[in-house]
This record gives sequence, C-alpha cells and structure tokens, in this order.
Amino acid sequence: MAEEIPNLKTLLSSRRGGSSRSRGRGRGFLGSSHEGSEVLRDNAVRGTDQDAAGSRVSCVELGYLHDPYAKLFATQASTRRLPLLNRGTYVRTSAIDNLVDRFMTTDPETRKQIVSLGAGTDTRYFRLRDKYLDAQIVYHEIDFPANTAAKLINLQRHAQLHTKLTPKGLPNPPSLGPAAAEYHSPTYNLHSLDLRSLASASDDTPPPRLPNLDPSVPTLILSEMCLVYLQAPNVSSILSTFLKTYIPAPTPVALVLYEPILPDDAFGRTMISNLSTRNIHLPTLLAYPELGDQRRRLKTYGFSDGVKAVDTYFIWQEWVSEAEKERVAGLEMLDEIEELNLLLKHYCVAWGWRDGGNEGAFSRAWKHVGDQEGD
Amino acid sequence: MSIGGSDLDKAITQLRACRPIPENQVRELCYKARELLIEEGNVVGVDAPVTICGDIHGQFHDLMELFRVGGDVPDTNYLFMGDFVDRGFYSLESFLLLLCLKVRYPDRITLIRGNHESRQITTVYGFYDECLRKYGSANVWRYCCEVFDYLALGALVSGAATSLSPTDGPLAETTNVESLPDSDSEIEIETLNANGEIMYRYARNSDSQSNAVSGANSNPASSSPAAPTPSRTGPAGTGATSSANGSSRNDTGAVLCVHGGLSPLIDTIDKIRLLDRKQEVPHEGAMCDLLWSDPDDIDGWGLSPRGAGFLFGADIVKCFNHKNDLSLIARAHQLVMEGFKEMFDSTIVTVWSAPNYCYRCGNVAAILELGEDGSNAGFVRRSNGERGGGGGGWALGSNDEPNRNGGGGGGANDNRRLSSVLADGMQRMRDGPGRRYRVFEAAPQDSRGMPAKKPVADYFL
Ligand SMILES: C[S@@+](CC[C@H](N)C(=O)[O-])C[C@H]1O[C@@H](n2cnc3c(N)ncnc32)[C@H](O)[C@@H]1O
Repeated sequence: MAEEIPNLKTLLSSRRGGSSRSRGRGRGFLGSSHEGSEVLRDNAVRGTDQDAAGSRVSCVELGYLHDPYAKLFATQASTRRLPLLNRGTYVRTSAIDNLVDRFMTTDPETRKQIVSLGAGTDTRYFRLRDKYLDAQIVYHEIDFPANTAAKLINLQRHAQLHTKLTPKGLPNPPSLGPAAAEYHSPTYNLHSLDLRSLASASDDTPPPRLPNLDPSVPTLILSEMCLVYLQAPNVSSILSTFLKTYIPAPTPVALVLYEPILPDDAFGRTMISNLSTRNIHLPTLLAYPELGDQRRRLKTYGFSDGVKAVDTYFIWQEWVSEAEKERVAGLEMLDEIEELNLLLKHYCVAWGWRDGGNEGAFSRAWKHVGDQEGD
Repeated sequence: MSIGGSDLDKAITQLRACRPIPENQVRELCYKARELLIEEGNVVGVDAPVTICGDIHGQFHDLMELFRVGGDVPDTNYLFMGDFVDRGFYSLESFLLLLCLKVRYPDRITLIRGNHESRQITTVYGFYDECLRKYGSANVWRYCCEVFDYLALGALVSGAATSLSPTDGPLAETTNVESLPDSDSEIEIETLNANGEIMYRYARNSDSQSNAVSGANSNPASSSPAAPTPSRTGPAGTGATSSANGSSRNDTGAVLCVHGGLSPLIDTIDKIRLLDRKQEVPHEGAMCDLLWSDPDDIDGWGLSPRGAGFLFGADIVKCFNHKNDLSLIARAHQLVMEGFKEMFDSTIVTVWSAPNYCYRCGNVAAILELGEDGSNAGFVRRSNGERGGGGGGWALGSNDEPNRNGGGGGGANDNRRLSSVLADGMQRMRDGPGRRYRVFEAAPQDSRGMPAKKPVADYFL
C-alpha cells in the first residue's frame, strides 16, 4: 500500500489545537512520513464526531430522540439521514441511556461519576441534568483539544448550556478566553487530551492529572464509538490506568462500550474497506470480532463482577417496548428492513463492572438487563 | 425536438456512458414510454426465453455489469422487476437508459413497477434529490413519476423449459466435478459465476441438492428471512453472455413476476388484471401489496415490518400457484446476500440484482434465466397481456391455449376444476422451470472510464 505523502501545511495547521500529542505516545518518532500519516489519521478520527452529531440532529428533528441540545453543537447544516440510519442512531442512544438511567436511579441520593471517553459533542450531560434535577453528578468528558475547544465555544455561546456548567444554585461560571480547551467545575469537566497519553503511564511517568476526578465515587466510563479507534493494547493500558490509578478498588467502576462487531463477513469486510477510504481504521473491531470476545475483553480489563454484550438488533427486539416500537416505526416509512437488520447486527453494546458483586451498585443497577445468547 | 430513430440511439449511447440527456429529451422519452406502457395490461405476457432481474437502485455501473454478464439488449430478452431508482447515485441514468431501451426495443425488455417507483418514496430515498441536483428543477422527476404510474404491476412468463440444456462452460475453480449430476440427467438448476463458469448444477429431484444447498447457505452475513428448508442460495461469483437455450417436456406452469409478492385481496391473476393501476402507489390495498409484500416463514398472512404490504407463508404461495397454474413466483424487493434465494420448495424465488447494495452491504447479485420450451415456438405474444388463460386449467400445458374470452370469463370454471382437484386430495405441484442463475459482483468503481465518483456509505461513527 502506498504511504500517503503528507502535506506539511495541513500538518502544521492541524496541530494548532493541541500540544498533548507530545505528552508521550509511548513511542519514539518513526520518521516524519509515518508521523505525518498518523496526524492525518487522527484528524479523520476527530472528524467522526461531526458524523455522530449530524446523525443525532437528524434523529431529533424527526422525533426519534428528544434532545434540545443536539442542534447547538452540529456545525454542518442538518441533513436528513436515511430512515435506517435514524433507526440505528435511535437504538444506540436509547440503549446507552437505558444503562445510564439504571445507574442514576440506583441509590439516587448518592454521588455519581460519569467519564465519557471521546465525548465529542455528546449532549448526555445536559440531558441528565434536566432529567435528574436532584442528582449529584460529577461528569467528565475527554477529547482531543481541537474538539474540546470547539465544544467550549458552543458551551459559552448558548445560555441553556452555559448555566448548567456549575452545580445547581452556584453562580454561572465566568467566561473563558477564546483559546480555552479545558473547563472544570464540581459537576462538569472537559479535559482536552489524547487518550493515548493515559496508556503510556508507568510508575515513573504518572498519567495526566484529571481535575475533579473523584477516586471514591462510583464511576461509569462510557466509550461510545471512541476506543474502537485505538490499538487494542493501548485500550487495555488506558483502562488499567482508570481501574488501578484513577479509581482504584474498592470504588465501583463500570465500562459501557458501543462499537461495531463482525468484521469478517461480507458486510463487515465492506465496512472496513469503505471506512479506510476515509482514513478511518477500527483496530479493536478486528481484535474483538464477536460478542463473546467483547465479554472476555471486559473481564481481562478487570471488570470481574459482571460482563454482558448484546448487538443492537437484539436491543431493538428485546429492550424497546412494543408501544415505543410502534411510535418509532410510525415516524418514517422504512423500506430497508434487511439492510437495517444487517446494520444493527454489526454494532454492539458491551458492558462490565467491578463493584464487589451482588449488593454492589452496578450489580443491582443492571441485574435485570438481559444478556444475549451466543459466544 | 423529437426523440425517435437516430436521436434515440444517440440518447442510448449517451446514457450508456452514464451521462444524463437534456430535459426536453427526457420529456419526449417519457411521453413515448407512456404511450407504449398504456397499451400493456397490468400483467404483461412474456415468452421465454427471458432473463429476470431484481432491484437495480440506481447502481448504474452494476447495471452495466449486469448487461455484460447477461447479454446486451436486444440480444437478450429482459424482464426487470422494478426498483430502478433510489439509494444509488445514478438512479436517473439507470432509469432513463432502461426506458430508452424499452422505447427502442419494446418487445425485448419488460419493466414492471417496484415500490420505489412512487412519488412519495423517491422523495425520501434519493431520486427526487438526484433529479433536482442534476437538472436544477423537479421537472424531470415529475416526468419520470408520470411514467411510473403506467408501469405494469406484474408479468407472466410462459413457455419456459422444464430443464436446462447444460452450458458447456468450464467449471469454476471451487466446483467439485463429483458433485455435478450425470450428463444425461435433467438439469433443474444451474448457477454460473460472472465468467460463465459453472458453480453448481442440480438435476431434478436429485438428493445432492440439499447437501450442496446447505453448504452455500453458510454465509453468516445472510440477511435473508428465516427460510424453511430446503432453501437454495447461490454463492458469490460473476457472468457471461446469455444463450437462453434448452428444451424439454412442456409441463411447466407459467411464472408470475411481481416486485413484492402476493396480496390477501388477490387470489387469481385475473384479479390483478382488473385493478386500476394508473396512479401513485396507494398506502394499502391490492396494488400496494403486490409491490410491498414479502414471503416469510409463517402460516398464512402476517403484518409486515415495513408498514405496507403483508408477510405471506408457504401455504399461501402453494395455494396461489396451484390455483393459477403457476410453477413459480419470481420476485425481488428483499436484499439477499447470495443474490437469489428460493423458498417454500422452490415455489417462490427472490432475485436481487444490486451487488454491494448501497455500496455497503457486501452482497453479490444475481439474474435468473429461463430457457425456451421448444414446443412453444408458435405462440403469438400479446403485449397487452390480456391472455386470459393465466388462471386456467390444471391440465398440463393448458396455459398454452390462449383464452380469447379475456379476464373475467374463466373464473367459475377454474374454481370448479380446482375444487374437484382438491377434493380428490391431489396435491401435486407443477414442476418448476429450469433455472439458470448468473451471479455477479459489483463493478469495479473506476471501470470503463466512466465518471464514477467514489461513493461514500454511511456508518455509525
Ligand atoms: C465517533 S466520535 C463519538 C463521539 C461521541 N462519543 C458520540 O457517540 O456522539 C469519536 C470521538 O472520539 C474522539 N477520540 C478518538 N480517539 C481519541 C483519542 N485518542 N483521544 C481523545 N479523543 C479521541 C474523537 O475525537 C471523537 O470526538
């Protein structure tokens, strides 16, 4: 395969946002051409956030999802996505909402921490604030500096976002300079960094400090199409940093993953080759091809008290009530049934937890959420 | 300006290069096409040999590949079962080319309506936007929609041979010689790849069928609805030119071709003939069902997850085929990863002709060739399709007797014969026609110097 020859000008300008790449990728420089193509790849990965944002807006405008904030973040003019994509985005978002809601409503009076990896323009924090008025949430979002900076501009531009950055009752945060890429408050934190810098942590080089990350509060880590872009060994190290350094036992901690599966059939192979033309690569898709692999990987990370994995076809069938199915089916005429099922079977939600078992917060929260058969 | 004779040939040349023709030519073409289609009955009569094709969905380059594999018009007689437009990037070029060919060679190509040939669906699934983008106004979309309203709802193929005379093509690399039937046996099914190499060959009533079939069925990506056993599907491959040869006994029934499937409101083909089709596809009713329904592994009728049409089971198909003296229903409408899929003891087949559907699904495509029965040679094709005998007798070969009484007359008679047959407890089904499937893959994107912008498929990112 021909190595792309990087355009140095694009490289320079793409570095504008952040210096954190140099914060140790755990590797030496392998020559400028290699380094260059990595930057191009990172840019492609950063760009995926606008795909997610656009899909969200399309879903909201058509009534699939209720999310008054989605539109505030989308940079592209909203384009209506195909019905099958809207259906898929609906399943994805409501599936994760379901797991998060069960976490929020278990011991509702206690503090809860959520860490969203590669959060992009996700709006979940703001929706949770509206939904759980009295909850004590410590929310963290991590993304590349260019993405956090862009998000921060929007957070300051819109009052309905800005007023929610601090806990209820506290004054609005002061406005930040235009170049700011980080934000911290007792309830909402935006961390600008390359997640891979968490992978290279060791005894000598501790991982970057994440302000306001509380090692003693039950923590739900979310990776909604994020860790899939990293190399499997990196992902493993990142989670080790979370489970051992940031939030050591016995604090309950869980991980919820949303990512594609089944790379080896005709659809999966086509997906991989189509995305690679956009310079998007999905290393963990190859490393964990099936639901069973997803469950095993979660165990290996240290989520020893429970692991489950379901594909999004199963979620649509089993998690969505008949009344809700009917409502959603009524929103748009959907002619792409076979294609939809194929697509839904190629994405999964996998989650695992460490909480001491049985009476632990996550064990109780997710006790009644069904697992899918098959290894 | 008018589009006839050499202008038409010029337009064909231009469209074959995937270049749209000017708006005034489209208007003229659509007018001509309507004049032609209005003469066709709701169910067009077509004589074998014929090559039956499923959904195209604007995948122009794959349509070219289809013609390469199946033979060109007018050398090959084609029947397209609808869904020419939407989803792909070249709905306009694909549909207009097919329409030009229809006007140029009306007896060599039959187009029937799919559920996407509708105003409502094309505004959601891309054709409307494409016309707007390519012409700057919705006029061309409007002309095309007017043509859609005149497309036939089905076709009835008669005179198909019960067995294939085997191609003398070479074996595909993966084919096991041992698995092929003896040279003197009657060939019921043959599957060829795009190079015309034999992938599978089944003799009628052979035991080896089920074995070979389950092997081909193991693709985990198959999105096909749960199939009752046995179902036959073809594996990946690609095509050659058509030589629809073959002749044998003349006891096969006719083959009904529709885009979707059956309707609970339709128990005879004559009832299809009585519909008023010249309108936008309605949201419900018989016309809607024919374009929207799907076979499924259920008893009787079920609700469709598509929100239009119905699901129908093996009992419905067998009863309908029996009553209407059909040996097979050919339909499209559902993505099949292997390109085709026979269900319900080969009483119905899905043919899917859009490889790598939406540039995303990774599936192969297929076309179905039915050979010509030698004894049918003298039959005069009536292009308005008012053959009348479609619902006709149980007696073998009676479908070759044109019933000049037209649609309405035969009904009571049919029923009497049918009920006496059923009373006798006889459940014999017609032998299906010999079926040659040609399986092909998506055309290479930058092939043949055509303007092929790289399509991007959406995923969840
Ligand atoms: C497809 S988007 C998903 C955004 C959000 N989670 C959602 O589902 O809407 C992936 C996000 O992960 C971020 N990301 C990927 N790799 C990253 C890394 N190494 N460090 C930080 N962020 C990363 C990208 O910048 C992007 O915003």
